[in-house]
Amino acid sequence: MEICKPAVAGTLESSDLMVTVEPGTAGIELSLTSSVMNQYGRQIKKTVLETLDRLEVKDAKVTVVDKGALDCTIKARVECAVLRSCDKSDKNIDWGGVIR
Amino acid sequence: MAVSQVYQSDTRTMAKVKALLERVDITLDEHLDYTCAVFDEEGEPIATGSAFGPTLRCFAVDPAHQGEGLLNEVITHLMEDRLTKGYFHLFVYTKPGSAKFFKDLGFCEIAEVPGFLVFLENRRNGFAGFLKQLAAKKQPGQAAAIVMNANPFTLGHRYLIETAARENDVVHLFMLSENAGPIPAKVRHRLVREGVADLPNVICHETGEYLISSATFPGYFLKSEEKILRTQARLDTALFVQIAKTLDVTARYVGHEPHSLVTALYNDVLSEALPAQGIQCRIIPRKHLPDGRVISASAVRQAVHDGRLEEAADMLPETTLNFFRSPEAAPIIAAIRREKDVVHY
Repeated sequence: MEICKPAVAGTLESSDLMVTVEPGTAGIELSLTSSVMNQYGRQIKKTVLETLDRLEVKDAKVTVVDKGALDCTIKARVECAVLRSCDKSDKNIDWGGVIR
Repeated sequence: MAVSQVYQSDTRTMAKVKALLERVDITLDEHLDYTCAVFDEEGEPIATGSAFGPTLRCFAVDPAHQGEGLLNEVITHLMEDRLTKGYFHLFVYTKPGSAKFFKDLGFCEIAEVPGFLVFLENRRNGFAGFLKQLAAKKQPGQAAAIVMNANPFTLGHRYLIETAARENDVVHLFMLSENAGPIPAKVRHRLVREGVADLPNVICHETGEYLISSATFPGYFLKSEEKILRTQARLDTALFVQIAKTLDVTARYVGHEPHSLVTALYNDVLSEALPAQGIQCRIIPRKHLPDGRVISASAVRQAVHDGRLEEAADMLPETTLNFFRSPEAAPIIAAIRREKDVVHY
């Protein structure tokens, strides 16, 4: 999926994360801040990148501010931000396809 | 607990928000376009935050409710609101002691005025990226810089630029990018570019959101106290020094300012702070017309406001004058005429 416009999903509350995606040109440029960076930074990064890969996002600036979210939350928020960025979040979501 | 918007017209709730801010020694900014708050069971506000354009301002959490993560809720709410209004690149000004809360929320420090203020943005490489883009425009030789609003571009601006262009190999001309008056930034920029097109060693830049636009210097457009102005001028100077170092600028040229308190204060701070960083601050006296009138953009705006453009014709280069005489300028002239106060104080 192509990132057409900036979009955001999530909150800054505890156990959640805020994901911002913006159009980019140089691959995935990920900026990660986390309250549990030392323990789970690598895991969060991996989950974000895997989700983006599954959604076939090639170029994007991605900003993640994590407040200790679980992997399923991270996945959901990334998916939501990407779908919103290409106006695909309101209908015909590819459930069971790239969204699983 | 839910965060909800507080309307300016709801004076009762606004008064409570104001009281909450005052409890933590913050005065409510007069220029806000959005305010929100979290309320307790009795309907009293216990946390609040506001926004103005791309900046987030005036935060407070009731001391009895600190540590409950209310600031995070307020910021989330404000960010969502700003995003729906098209502001993605956000800025925060706060006391140095509070900066860490914002850093935890994904904001990164751009510059600090020690003891007074920290300026943050929601990008990790925002300012660094801006500097990197600028570095590509670096030219060999002795370089000077000018920052101007050019509202609109006059022969006074031209005189300042000519002086700098004569005394240096390169002049980096920064035009403020903010739309903060009846003349849109696009038009201001175009008139500057046209007005200096014949000076080969002048390079025009837009300041983006960093140099004295309302992002860095609200006091320039808003009337506020001297201390706030000085702090903001010092912040601006800190940002300018970074830009100057990127472009190897060794001097900044500014116009002498006898009438505008804000600009005079600003020049005062500059002439104090720049030499300490190895940058010369050259204050150039204003250009006068043969009849003794001082050329100034505010005099031009006043003349346009009063419908006497031709009286200010000798203050304007042909390019600006032609624009104001053209039909294209009609809506802008109408907007200037609608303004109550066209001379900033």
